[in-house]
Formats: sequence, C-alpha cells, structure tokens
Amino acid sequence: MRVPERFRLIHIVASPAALDKAEYLRIAPDEALAFAAPESIDDPYAIVEPDDGYAGLWLDAQEAEKFLARACEWELPPHRPAFAQGAVAGLPAKLWIERDRMLILVPAPYAADLEERLA
Amino acid sequence: MSFHIDCPHCGRRPVEEFFYGEVASENESIAGADARNLDRVFMLDNPEGIATERWFHAYGCRRWLTLRRDTRK
Amino acid sequence: MNEFVERKIALTWRAPKRAYDVVIVGGGGHGLATAYYLATRHGITNVAVLERNYIGSGNSGRNTTIIRANYGIPEAVRFYQRSVDLYASLESETGRGIMHRQKGLLWLAHSEAGVRAERARAEVNVAFGTKTEFVDPDQVKRICPQIDITGGGLWPVAGGTYHPEGSTARHDRVVWAFAEGAMRQGVDIQQGIRVHSLRVEGDRVTGVETDQGPISAGVVLSAAGGHVTTLVSTAGVRLPIRTHPLQAFVTNHYALEFPIIVASATLLFYASQTARGEMLMGAEIDRQPSYSYRSSHDFLQHCAFRAMTLLPFLRNLRILRQWTGVCDMSPDYSPIMGKTGIDGLLITTGWGTWGFKAIPAAGEQLAQLIATGATPELIAPFSLDRFARDRTMADRGSAGTH
Ligand SMILES: Cc1cc2nc3c(=O)[nH]c(=O)nc-3n(C[C@H](O)[C@H](O)[C@H](O)COP(=O)(O)OP(=O)(O)OC[C@H]3O[C@@H](n4cnc5c(N)ncnc54)[C@H](O)[C@@H]3O)c2cc1C
Ligand SMILES: [Zn+2]
Repeated sequence: MRVPERFRLIHIVASPAALDKAEYLRIAPDEALAFAAPESIDDPYAIVEPDDGYAGLWLDAQEAEKFLARACEWELPPHRPAFAQGAVAGLPAKLWIERDRMLILVPAPYAADLEERLA
Repeated sequence: MSFHIDCPHCGRRPVEEFFYGEVASENESIAGADARNLDRVFMLDNPEGIATERWFHAYGCRRWLTLRRDTRK
Repeated sequence: MNEFVERKIALTWRAPKRAYDVVIVGGGGHGLATAYYLATRHGITNVAVLERNYIGSGNSGRNTTIIRANYGIPEAVRFYQRSVDLYASLESETGRGIMHRQKGLLWLAHSEAGVRAERARAEVNVAFGTKTEFVDPDQVKRICPQIDITGGGLWPVAGGTYHPEGSTARHDRVVWAFAEGAMRQGVDIQQGIRVHSLRVEGDRVTGVETDQGPISAGVVLSAAGGHVTTLVSTAGVRLPIRTHPLQAFVTNHYALEFPIIVASATLLFYASQTARGEMLMGAEIDRQPSYSYRSSHDFLQHCAFRAMTLLPFLRNLRILRQWTGVCDMSPDYSPIMGKTGIDGLLITTGWGTWGFKAIPAAGEQLAQLIATGATPELIAPFSLDRFARDRTMADRGSAGTH
C-alpha cells in the first residue's frame, strides 16, 4: 500500500443554505471541506481558509471496497460522488467516494496509523 | 454495552464514535438555595427508563446531539 | 473433601409474612450479610431479605472477587481492613468453604506521578492499619516474572505497591454462606419477589409494596445494587448515584500458575487466575449510564489489548466468556451507608465496581446501626449527608475498577 500524504484542503464555515449550493465534503451542517477555494460563497460572514490538517490517499474502487469491508462497520451512502465520515479502522476518517476511486482522509497525526491499518 | 446512535448529519454510527455528555438539571421544586445547589451538584435522576442525554460525535461532524435513550435496553 | 464439590444444604423456604422488624431489599452480598450479622450478633431474626430474582443474581454473583484494603484515605483503609479481617475468618465462622485465597496484589504505576501516588498509598496504608509496601520495577519483576516490565514499549512499569493481603474468594459461595447462616437463625430469604416502592408515612418508613402485596417493617434497608435510585426515589430520597455497566471476561485454562493479582491504576485493567486456572480480567466501567446487562466487543478489544501489553502470555489464550453487571457509582468513588433523612430507611450503596470486598464489614456495621440506632464510627464518614456537609471521601485512584 502507498503512504498517506498531507492534503491541502479548503476549510469553509458558512451558513447551511450557502453550503447547500455547491458540492462540498460536508463535515457538518455549517462546515465543509473543499478541494479548491470556491469562487464565491453566498454568505457575507463565511470563513474560507486553507487547511493542512489532514493526511490521506486515493484508493481505486477495488482497493477501497476491500479495505472498507474489513475496516468499516457502518453503511456507505449509495449515490456517487458521496461524502461520508465516521470510524474507519478505528480512526476518525472522512471519505470522498467517486465512481471509480475513493479518497480517505484522517487528521494528520493519525497518518502513520492509517498507513499501518491499510497494510 | 454497545448500540448505535443516529447522527442527524452523518447517519447511523456505533456508539464508540461518540463521547457521552451530561445534562445539567435544576430542580426548581426544591425551596432552599443550599438544598437546591446540593441537588444540582450531586444528586442525579439516574433514570431506569428513558433518559435525555447529550452525545458528541467525535469521529464525525464534531457536533453535540440530544438523544433520548432507554437505559434498560 | 474436594473443595469444588458443594455440600448439600437443606433449608426451609417459607411464604413471606405480612410484617417484619427489618426488611432488606436486595439479596446480594450486602443485603444478606446485614441479615446474617443482625441474626448472629444482635439476635434480631424477625428479618426478611426480598430478592426479585435469585440471591446473588446481581453484582455479587458477577464480580471478579478481589479483596484488598489498599485504599488511599484513612477512613477507607480502616473500613476495608475490617472487611479483609472478617473475610479471613468467614470460612471458620460459617462452616462454609468460600475458597478464600490470599494471593498478594501488585498495583502498578507507569509514570512519575503514579509512582508518587503509590509511595503515598504505602504510607497511608501502613499508618492506618494495612500492609502495603512500595516496590521498584526490579522487585515487580521478581514478584511476578510474567509481567513485561517495559509494558510493551507503551506503558513501562515505573514502580508500584505490593499488598500481601490481596485475596480472592468464590463469589456465590460468599453469598450462600451468608444466606445459609442467616436462614439457620430464622431470617426469611425470599426469592422472586420484587419491591415496587417504599411506604412512607410522614417522615417514617413503614414498609414496602411488593408484587406479592404490602409488607410492613420498622426498618427498611435498601441493598438493591445498581437499582437503588429507582427504589429510594419512591420515598422521595435523591442520591448522588449513577448506574453504569461494568464488564469482565475469562479466558480458557492457563497451564501455568499465576499466583498473584495484578492491577494497573493507569491502564484501568486487572487480572487474576481463578481456581480452575482461567485468567479473569476486568477494566473500567462503560462511559454511559445504563441498566443493560449486554456486553460489548469494544470492551473486549480495548481491555484485551492493554492486558496483553502487560502480560504477553495472555496472547496465547482464548476468551471464553464475557458478562456485565450494573454498578451503583458514587461521585467520590466511596460507598454511601446508613441513614437517609427518612426515619427507619437505611441505604447501603455506592458500591460501584469495588463492593464485593466490603460485604462482611458493611454488613456487620449496618447490622450494628440497625440494632443500636446509632451510626458506628467506622462507617460514619460514609453517610449520605457527607455531600451536604462538604465532606466527600474522594478516592478514585484506589477504587480503581475492582
Ligand atoms: C464485572 C464486575 C466486577 C467486579 N469486581 C469486583 C472486585 O473484584 N472486587 C470488589 O470488591 N468488587 C467488585 N465488583 C463490585 C461488586 O460486585 C459489587 O459492589 C457488590 O457485589 C455489590 O453488592 P450488593 O449486594 O450491593 O449488590 P448486588 O449483588 O447487585 O445485589 C442487589 C440485589 O438487589 C436485587 N434488587 C434490585 N432491585 C430490587 C427490587 N426492587 N426488589 C427486590 N430486589 C431487588 C437485585 O436483583 C440484586 O440481586 C465488581 C462488579 C462487577 C459488575
Ligand atoms: Zn455526526
């Protein structure tokens, strides 16, 4: 398996209505992660800032399925792309699931644990 | 004991993803201020039945939710 | 005679009377021991113990049976040492084999703060009447060679205390020794009878309501274990008790002898070997309050991990059984015994995860309280009104998990 690396993401705190208007990694009703800064956001009080706090890696669909089958005890959302979060291999993980691949992110201090548990 | 909690944001997850939180309650029916404080600090309903609790979804959205749970199950 | 074979006993089980001098709610160790000492020490035999299930079906038949007096505050050391002494003579007194084994107990520390706490424990223990000595990691290794002194590289053993009087006994035999002893003196033990509520007139308790009708009593002792809050709330009494599940498990037979009890206050884990050779283990309570007797895989996983780091030989054993009890946890990790503010209503609770060892002393002292009406000095610090008096008996680091 490959080694998880630091991800540069964008952390957004904004009103739920504003966040509903685009596709984000929606970590809470008023909080989201994005791969790139949004061009605009419909909330004058929105906070948009870079976030280096996560480490992770992309797995292809087969790898992802195999890993989750043993490391995740809750159900994934059926649609694609989909965001999901919860305990994976005992770590607080965030998943971005596309049709043919999946990104798994954990808080950066857990990178080594993720690597170990992927193996 | 293990069970699942329905997080309104993240979905159904095992209880191990959550931290348990207390709900402070003040018993207005107690007359004296000292007695009321004693009750608030130390005494507990400890319901054998439906309890209203707060849980923090540490592994997911990191938000507090309110849960009604049957403590006998 | 083989100690595993139990002697047959013939006892008379009667239908409950409508009135008693003393009604004890809960046929766990605490209720039964109180009845036993009432009858044998004070000649008070017009007593009923009302148990909704079978005797010992609560925590008294579910615990890991560790008996010790190495507590952290003077009042507790004195009280638990009394219990250790009573346990030591219980077999000869009752004529029942309780499989009492003095094994010695190692209580491990994994940090500088932990070492300081253990040095203090040894001092307090010796000063107030029990035997405990501080031991360094080399001595730990000598006393128990199976311990990985490096703690698997995660929790190195920095020192600890050795408490030679640490012992175990067979829990259901203890329950039955007290029950039989009480019944032989004329105490009524009633199984399969549930108390719904307490009857109170003015400021006085007058009896109980049961699923087999009312029973009146001059004194009612609540010894209902984790269910105490529900019971005494029917008399308007509020308690600082929260009920949490506590789990334990045993492995299959370990071929060698493991002659000692090992506990780590930091890792919240402890282990001992049963008379059958199984390794018996436990750890901390479930975080959330609950009255459920269900066990969890999560507990097994976490407890087994900590156990194997300290005692690597456990890796080769298999878990056979796991079970749960529901514990009456007090906020200061000390028991609550005695008067409640309602005349005639007494409680014995706050036994949490540590009350098996206390069964004889608490029973003896509560019997004295019932017989004389005055709270004995040994248990006075543990009365319910200590919370109002701002005299809590904080001893979490000693209550530990067993
Ligand atoms: C897994 C586990 C491990 C433990 N390990 C240790 C240890 O190593 N050392 C130690 O000292 N302590 C230990 N303990 C704690 C110890 O078991 C308890 O503190 C002790 O047994 C309490 O005894 P009790 O008589 O108060 O309660 P219980 O034994 O629980 O008895 C209470 C009884 O009351 C009955 N009852 C409840 N409500 C009613 C009602 N309304 N009407 C009629 N009957 C009622 C119940 O059925 C029950 O039989 C452990 C506990 C557990 C769960
Ligand atoms: Zn959530």
